[in-house]
Amino acid sequence: MPRRPTSSRPHPPPPLPTTTGSPTDFLKGVVGKRVVVRLTSGVDYRGVLSCLDGYMNIALEQTEEHVNGAVTNRYGDAFIRGNNVLYISAAEPL
Amino acid sequence: MDSASSGIQEPFDLIRLSLSERVFVKLRGDRELSGVLHAYDGHMNLILSDVEETIVIVDHAEGAPEGQGTVNIAKRKMEMLFVRGDGVILVSPPSRT
Amino acid sequence: MASQILPLELIDRCIGSRIWVIMKSEREFTGTLLGFDDFVNMVLEDVIEYETTPQGKKETKLAQTLLNGNNICMLIPGSNGPDDS
Repeated sequence: MPRRPTSSRPHPPPPLPTTTGSPTDFLKGVVGKRVVVRLTSGVDYRGVLSCLDGYMNIALEQTEEHVNGAVTNRYGDAFIRGNNVLYISAAEPL
Repeated sequence: MDSASSGIQEPFDLIRLSLSERVFVKLRGDRELSGVLHAYDGHMNLILSDVEETIVIVDHAEGAPEGQGTVNIAKRKMEMLFVRGDGVILVSPPSRT
Repeated sequence: MASQILPLELIDRCIGSRIWVIMKSEREFTGTLLGFDDFVNMVLEDVIEYETTPQGKKETKLAQTLLNGNNICMLIPGSNGPDDS
C-alpha cells in the first residue's frame, strides 16, 4: 500500500493573534511557563505548568507549596484537583 | 517540548503513570496520605493500599503570634482505603528522576 | 419588546477596561479585563488581589491571571475597586 506523499498536507493555520484574551488563549500561552496557582484555601503552588484540562485540573512540575509566604513542601510533579483552584497567574512574562 | 518529553498531555496522565506506585495525597481538613495507588477515576476517587494517614491539628493559643500554635500530629495506618474524589486537593507521584 | 441586554453582554462591553471582582468569600480583585468565557472564568491583567484575613488586610499584585469563575459573586465594571472611593 503506497503512502501518500506528505507534501500534500494542508498549510498549517496562521498563528492566532495573542491579543485575544479568552481563558483558552491565556492557557495556551502559559503552558510551559512558571505560574502561581492559588487555591481557595489561600495556599499557593509555584511551579512550571505542564498541562491542564477543562475542569482546571492542573499538572505542575518543580512545584513549591507556599503557606503564608513560607515554603512548606516541594514536589517533582503535582496533580491539583481543579475545584480547589482560585486562580492561575503568570509568574514570568508571557 | 517540555510536555512531550515527560509524556504528559493532560493532568490525569500524571495519575495514570503513578499506578502501583507510592503517592502522596493532600486532602481537605489538613489530612495527608501516603499509599500505593491501585485505581482512580475521573472524580479522583482513589483506591490506596498500605496507607499512612497524617492529620495535623494546630491549636492556636489566644494571642499567640502567627504560626506559633502548638502542632499535634496524629498518624495511623490502613491496609486498604477508598478516598472520595471531592476531598482531594493534590496528588504527587514519586519523583520521576 | 424593549431592548434587552444580557448580563454577560454588559461584561463583554467591559473588555479592555478596569473591573472590580468580588468573590463569595472575603476576597476581591481589580484588573483590566482581557476576556472571559461562559463560566465567567476571567482573564485579568495588572491585577491587585485584596484579602481580609484575621491578621488584617493584604494586597497582592499579579501579572496576567486566569480567575476561576466558580467563586465569583459580583462584578463592578469600570471600577478601581476598594481604592476608588
